[in-house]
Amino acid sequence: MKRSFFQKHAIILIVYALILVLVVIGAFNSEHFLTLRNLTNVMRQAAYLGTAALGEMMVILIAGIDLSVGSLVKLCVLVSAILMDGDPDNVWMAVSLTLGLGLSVGLIHAFLINELNMSPFVVTFASLFILKGISLSITTKPIGRASRDFLMLYSEKIAGIYVIIFFFIILILMMMFLLNKTIFGKHIYAIGGNLSVAQLSGISVKRVRYGVYSLCSVLAAATGLLWLMRMGVGDPVIGNGLELNVIIAVVIGGTSLFGGRGTVIGVLGGVLLLTFTDNLLVILGVSQFYSGLIKGLIFVAAVSLHKMENR
Amino acid sequence: MRESQNPYILEMRNIFKSFGGVNALRDVSFQCRPGTVHALVGENGAGKSTLIKILAGALLPDSGEIIFKGQKHQSFSTRKALNSGISVIYQELALVSQMTVAENIFLGREPRKYFGIVDKKRLKIEAKKLLKQLGFEVDMDMEVGEMTVAYQQMVEIAKALSKNADLIIMDEPSAILAGHELDQLFLIIESLKKRGVTIIYISHRLEEVFRIANEVTILKDGQLVGTKPIKDLSRGELVKMMVGRTLEEVFPVSFNQLGNPVIQVEEISTKTILNQVSFNLREGEILGVAGMVGSGRTELARAIFGADPLTSGTIKIKGQDVVFKNPADAIRSKISLVPEDRKYHGLFTKLSILNNITLPILSKISRWGFTDKKKENEIVERERQIHSIDMTSGNQEVQYLSGGNQQKVVLSKSLQTIPEVIIMDEPTRGVDVGAKFEIYQLIRQLNKDGIAILMISSELPEILGLSDRILVMREGKIVAELTPNETNEEMIIEFATTNTQQSVP
Repeated sequence: MKRSFFQKHAIILIVYALILVLVVIGAFNSEHFLTLRNLTNVMRQAAYLGTAALGEMMVILIAGIDLSVGSLVKLCVLVSAILMDGDPDNVWMAVSLTLGLGLSVGLIHAFLINELNMSPFVVTFASLFILKGISLSITTKPIGRASRDFLMLYSEKIAGIYVIIFFFIILILMMMFLLNKTIFGKHIYAIGGNLSVAQLSGISVKRVRYGVYSLCSVLAAATGLLWLMRMGVGDPVIGNGLELNVIIAVVIGGTSLFGGRGTVIGVLGGVLLLTFTDNLLVILGVSQFYSGLIKGLIFVAAVSLHKMENR
Repeated sequence: MRESQNPYILEMRNIFKSFGGVNALRDVSFQCRPGTVHALVGENGAGKSTLIKILAGALLPDSGEIIFKGQKHQSFSTRKALNSGISVIYQELALVSQMTVAENIFLGREPRKYFGIVDKKRLKIEAKKLLKQLGFEVDMDMEVGEMTVAYQQMVEIAKALSKNADLIIMDEPSAILAGHELDQLFLIIESLKKRGVTIIYISHRLEEVFRIANEVTILKDGQLVGTKPIKDLSRGELVKMMVGRTLEEVFPVSFNQLGNPVIQVEEISTKTILNQVSFNLREGEILGVAGMVGSGRTELARAIFGADPLTSGTIKIKGQDVVFKNPADAIRSKISLVPEDRKYHGLFTKLSILNNITLPILSKISRWGFTDKKKENEIVERERQIHSIDMTSGNQEVQYLSGGNQQKVVLSKSLQTIPEVIIMDEPTRGVDVGAKFEIYQLIRQLNKDGIAILMISSELPEILGLSDRILVMREGKIVAELTPNETNEEMIIEFATTNTQQSVP
């Protein structure tokens, strides 16, 4: 009773079909929609959500959750802007310290979950408020400045592709490789699929958790850097509610909230679906307030599809 | 020097283990010969699982030695046990259902190319080879969750072989298997034996022990009763060693005072599997229902209890036609169900004993929506005495009770509504022999009080020992009606299995 390709990947296929529907709607309603300019813009926006989503995906795959992503992005935008302070000599220092900040936050999360046996929900929920609190105690107004060449990267191209999109594609390929080809990846799926079995099989669950939570937070820090690249300043508004968008994208893409199941291609679909939705709303001149409503509905639809699939 | 001529592959010597002052194991020693099947039997709580966990490295003994393959170990870690060639196949299979057969077999020991990259090709080839040795050909890319339990168990065995296990411990492997699957398991055990693999086989079902074991070690209350070659033992002797009670005493005698029919079932069918089933159940009767898993036994219980709608046929209660739209209707007609899986369908495991028992009659014992605590306590105290439930207080959470005591709570709960008919689905599953005896006595007592009982069970000794009449089901139909003193286990199995289509996963 092997399930067919279509049954197995039903959610992913539906997600991509929906994207296609959005594209068709967009094309019929606006001449600007199907332009190279708009499409590359959508891709660039997708890279922002997608970078954070790929990290979150790994956490959800081991049946964990990271609610702190939005707050961490916010903190990283501010920290990197302050460190860079418009000076091109500071770029490398700012970038590595920001990524280091992400790494430490992830390690702390994993430490609390591993060694103190706290639930990922509690740890990262607390972290959401703590990181946000630190950010807002630093500033409530835009602060710091990106250096000019760092800012220029936003519109720069490699081989005709925007640097940001290029980076995102590399990240996707790396993530696919990590999850499908490496032992680390196999162990991620095993831990999410059945924790006690993973332990009994001699997998070091703690080590995998350290790896997964730090990668997730490092990718959130990277998202913060991408935002600095786009905004040029450390804007404390960035990152508000991002964690929910990220989780929705991951789940729409067919990742089980109970862990053990999910693919990079699926999550990419989820990210694109959300980004196209937002883009279409702008192009059609619909109020952004509807965005949340629509995303919520898509979310519910995705989860109920999961349920039907597992019956 | 002596160690090298050791005739045993495994020796456990003077193992002690206690948990918070309670002795789980006291001075247990036993030996296994290589290439044999060694059965480990005893009631629940006898110390089997503690012993196994020590052997698997999951628990440390307080004192004692393990000598495995001539090497002395003070204690084991999980890794050490694995590396020296001990594999445990737990009752809850240790498989990740979302992963493929091949991935599961090599989980945690994936063949690698370089850096941390999995060699997928080798993974599949090796896995296929292993399963072929066991006589199984399955798609290596199939997810384990899509296979039948029997196949999953084969994957577990393949996993053990892939670790070059010399000793495989099987913890109640038959509990999840149907009849023909069990035969397959036994064939595999035979072939493992031929390859020199030693097997420690834990089972509640003594028939199996007699079928495959070479030797048997009996534990009781954390102490060793003895190790004997199986051929020196009769079934009765083995039971006596396990419980200190003879077989005849296990089943209390029937009272045999049958009254008028309480339920008359006429040609009922359901969408599930039932096909024109008819029978009647009389006052004070115990009607046993035998059959393989999937023969429609549980579906019969559900249909009578109003959980599945009938597509045709009628049910009469005391001569009156009734239609049950849901279980609440059935309960109102004084029918009670003791479901098969108490943890999921019978109990609120995280609630107290008191809350569980009084739940069905809350409206009766409360006033203006407030429950009468005093009355509740009285009820629980009364139930504790009647059913000899072993508990600290009525506020104890059910999850902390042993299987036998949980089952007594389920029974007590279902009796609160003062039913006239009780449907019991596997009343003694996962219950140790001592508690079984108490449950049998309770069933008899209910029977004496005039309650009609429909008892579904996979344990044929139970069916034969308790029932006044026996129905055998197969493929949704009743294929035989027998009286216990004119039949035996072989005959029932014959009826239950003939013409059964072999199911293919």
